[in-house]
Amino acid sequence: MFLLPKGNPLFENLAATKLKLPEVMTKLSSGAFTGYASFIFQSSTTILVFESGKLVSTLLETQKGERQNGFEALSSLAELMVTANSGTMNVYKLSKDLTMCIHALLQGEILYKAQELKLIDIKTLLEKIKNDHMNGCLRIYTEDRSAIIFYKDGNPLGFFHDGSHDIETSSSESQKIAGMPGAKIDLYSTQGAEELMGTDLLKVANIQSIWETCVTRHHSDNAKISKEREERDQKTVSTKRAELEEQFKSIVVEYIGKAGRGIVDKEISDQGGNACLVDTAGSTKLLAAVDRSAKLLISGSSNKQMMEKLTDLITAAKADF
Amino acid sequence: MEQLVELFSQINPFDLIQVIFWGLAGAISFYFSIGNARVWTSISIGFFLIFIGQAYAINPFAHYYKLSAYHYIIGTVAIMLITHGFLEYYVFCKTFEISGQKIFVYLSTIVILAGSGAFLIINPTPGPNTIRNFKMIEHAIWIILCVMNLELIRKIYESIKDATISRGFIAFGIVFICIFLWKGSELYLQIYQWDKDWQDIIAVMTEESSDIDKYPLRVAFSESVSRYAGLLSSMSVGGTFIYIYKLLK
Repeated sequence: MFLLPKGNPLFENLAATKLKLPEVMTKLSSGAFTGYASFIFQSSTTILVFESGKLVSTLLETQKGERQNGFEALSSLAELMVTANSGTMNVYKLSKDLTMCIHALLQGEILYKAQELKLIDIKTLLEKIKNDHMNGCLRIYTEDRSAIIFYKDGNPLGFFHDGSHDIETSSSESQKIAGMPGAKIDLYSTQGAEELMGTDLLKVANIQSIWETCVTRHHSDNAKISKEREERDQKTVSTKRAELEEQFKSIVVEYIGKAGRGIVDKEISDQGGNACLVDTAGSTKLLAAVDRSAKLLISGSSNKQMMEKLTDLITAAKADF
Repeated sequence: MEQLVELFSQINPFDLIQVIFWGLAGAISFYFSIGNARVWTSISIGFFLIFIGQAYAINPFAHYYKLSAYHYIIGTVAIMLITHGFLEYYVFCKTFEISGQKIFVYLSTIVILAGSGAFLIINPTPGPNTIRNFKMIEHAIWIILCVMNLELIRKIYESIKDATISRGFIAFGIVFICIFLWKGSELYLQIYQWDKDWQDIIAVMTEESSDIDKYPLRVAFSESVSRYAGLLSSMSVGGTFIYIYKLLK
């Protein structure tokens, strides 16, 4: 996303994920705001251009350079504000004319795109801009530097380049870049500011509805993810407990024989399931019950050995859960 | 003291040895019941009561008919207790359920014995024929319950054959085979009226006769089986408890 002039900053670095898009829109709209709001997220940047409180253009550009605009961009912005972990919002007040030029830059008609400067007659082009009373902007750039010249009715409004914060009156930087090898131009044109006033995306798009849909979907997704995680966790715990139960039974069977499996099954069932294996009170009761039954079947010394092994197993298992 | 010496001099040495062995078996089984789980209590108390039942042979007051009858009742209670114990062990092997308290087994035994004593006290003094009936009933119950116990032991062994204690149940099986032969041979003699008690009775009741002279070999064989199987029973009971005690130590 190319840099834009900052004009008069109203808000900077507000946490976008803590804001509600409908409230932001209402505030900017009711305050007859002219300028633009930028929403910067890790994956993309969105620019909303306002003209006297009317949303005249929206543009979302991802890190990969993919672009969305209009309703699609608003929906994506709402989704990012609801789902993203972090993001910032900035609001810059601009003059009507400059706002018009920003609109041109974002969504205006493309007259030239990535045109190598050396292949065109720049003088003729500038004359054409003047003669046609063009509204728009001319972007001159190389691989690592860029400058924008904003026009109203064919006359330059000002110059903006990387590294500056606002419109400048000097054309020296633009001329420098234009003189560099490999310099290219983009030329965007748009309607006049008055014509733009006829456009208001806020009237077309139901921001409240877009927002609520995103919030609901997010909650639903979160609930689903949470449920899936819970189920996965439960399954993992359940598997671990089943493995522990099997190890427990193996030890008992080793000393008592096959009757040991039945004894463990019965005692675990009496304790309400294999969760008792990792529960302090439950495991104590289980061990006592197994010990009592084992006394009827095996020698005291074997029983003692078995109980030590079972206690060690449970102690180690408790640390895992 | 002189009376006691005279009594011992009248006792068949074989019977005396048998009583001494039952005394040892009874002491071992009673000791075993004290230090072990409740399931063993009925079994060990039952075997201890066999000694009490057999002790009429050395009881200087056994000539009192009621006391003599009481010995046989105790013998009957003994096998019932033993069977109850094996039944409990079998239930444990199938359900792994252990319930109840030892004290209830002791108290129940005392109550049953006291009730049996009261039964004898409130009834007329039994004559020799009635005492012989007590003895026959005791033997019949022993035979039936011996068979039942052998089946229970078989099933218990099947359930726990890979446990340490399982070999102890094989020993119990041998015990019950000996007891079956011992009690069975006595009942056989009683049913055919070839037993000593019947011979003593008909000696004073002249109108009765006996065909014992026609079957001397059967009678002699049965008496021998009774003697040796009785002795082996007492020895095997003592040995079995010592063996189980070692297995469970």
